[in-house]
Amino acid sequence: MGNLKESTYPGKLFIVEGIDGSGKSTQLDLLHKWLMSEGYLVVFTEWNSSPIVKSTTRRAKQRRLLSPMSFSLIHAADFASRLYMQVIPALQAGAIVLADRYVYTAYARDSVRGVERAWLRRLYSFAIQPTVSFYFDVPLDEAITRILEGRPALKYYEAGMDLRLSRNPYESFRLFQGLIKNEYDHLADEYGLVRIDATKSLVSQQKLMRQMVRPYIADARRLEGIGIQEALKEHHLAGRYLGESDLLKEDIP
Amino acid sequence: MSAPKFYGIRPPGIEAESLPGRLIVLEGTDGVGRSTQIALLREWLEGRGYAVIHTGFNRSELASRGILRAKRGNTLDPLTLNLFYATDFWDRLERHILPALRAGMIALVDRYIFTLIARAVLRGVPREWIEDVYGIALIPDKVLYLDMEVDQLLPRVIATYGLDFWESGQDYLRNPDLFSNYVEYQGAMLAEYRRLASTYGFETIDAGRPVGEVFASLQAGIEDVLQGMGAEEDASSARASTGEVGGPTGPA
Repeated sequence: MGNLKESTYPGKLFIVEGIDGSGKSTQLDLLHKWLMSEGYLVVFTEWNSSPIVKSTTRRAKQRRLLSPMSFSLIHAADFASRLYMQVIPALQAGAIVLADRYVYTAYARDSVRGVERAWLRRLYSFAIQPTVSFYFDVPLDEAITRILEGRPALKYYEAGMDLRLSRNPYESFRLFQGLIKNEYDHLADEYGLVRIDATKSLVSQQKLMRQMVRPYIADARRLEGIGIQEALKEHHLAGRYLGESDLLKEDIP
Repeated sequence: MSAPKFYGIRPPGIEAESLPGRLIVLEGTDGVGRSTQIALLREWLEGRGYAVIHTGFNRSELASRGILRAKRGNTLDPLTLNLFYATDFWDRLERHILPALRAGMIALVDRYIFTLIARAVLRGVPREWIEDVYGIALIPDKVLYLDMEVDQLLPRVIATYGLDFWESGQDYLRNPDLFSNYVEYQGAMLAEYRRLASTYGFETIDAGRPVGEVFASLQAGIEDVLQGMGAEEDASSARASTGEVGGPTGPA
């Protein structure tokens, strides 16, 4: 299926892709909650969120310092940082890793910005092949409507203003998203991404996702209960301060 | 002049334009005398009427602060660090070097992609991958490589800045002391530079000789790429025309 590294780790990697407003993050969040309720050890990672790289990217975006090539490289740095610090260790530990956007986001966005497709594939050749990749397919108009509802302004790069498609940010955003969707549609075929019809009800989309995920997770690592509830009962405590620790919180149903 | 040539790909935003300037790169490890030679070259070139810009490492507006911050931490994997460097490199190329070349200047670059490649390879980054990433680099008109054996380099470095953490590979080598790490690291860097020299066609210059001799070799190496830039021709024709019009009092 291509140019990513086959995983040799016990964990599983599920990723979602799609244009802004396709509902992929909502569906991944639902999947996340379900897996947690089933007791699995789950790690979540999202595009452009590496603590080491993020501040550089944010500053560069604010100052509009990014050209198509530096945009591409800095996002690859962010991806590498999350892969090595978050994703791979979690997969080695047997966890289920959920990624909101993966290499296909870079393939789509950066090639729209004019970066050679073949080079992008080589750039990201260090990435691990996901267990299943979902592509949330939504008509452009519907995605645009969802995104723009109740949103006062679009950011410069978000709207693709650097591509000079239009001076109007909303028109630019529409054209930019259209180009990205076109790339995604090709990528979905080329890399066998699982298409989810994002116009269907949220429930039926989620049902399909779980169906696709279930066969792979039987052996995934479960987070053992650490007995918080029992301890509280035994010692007649309310657990008032437990919310301060995320790990402990997960033990509370 | 034809369209700019890159090692791997044509990056976006680069038109099929001619670049009247020249890109001249000095490569070589720390302590080999690059800064001294660049200072001399710059003065020499400017004296001959060329406009020169000098640019070096980690100086881009985009990524330099991020690199410093990241290096201060200790949890950075080699790929992320190298992608940071690549971002910084591209920013420098796009913002400083290309505009200078468009304007007909000489860009005198204190290390280009090759030190970055060598350092990455030593730290286990796949060679093919890192060379692919730097396929974004504009091919220089000349790469002058200052070559020096480690036992010659060592006393120079000891006498000046001392042994540096990164330049001794302290981040990944596990010898019992700094000195042993330095010797191992610089030996490996030297082997890597020499391999790159043959792959990318550097002009290798023996940097172990006196400064004046090294400088003369660099001048000779640069001379042929200055052909056709016209600084000398312009200067002499300007003098000639001034003379014809009527000496020092004539219009400039």
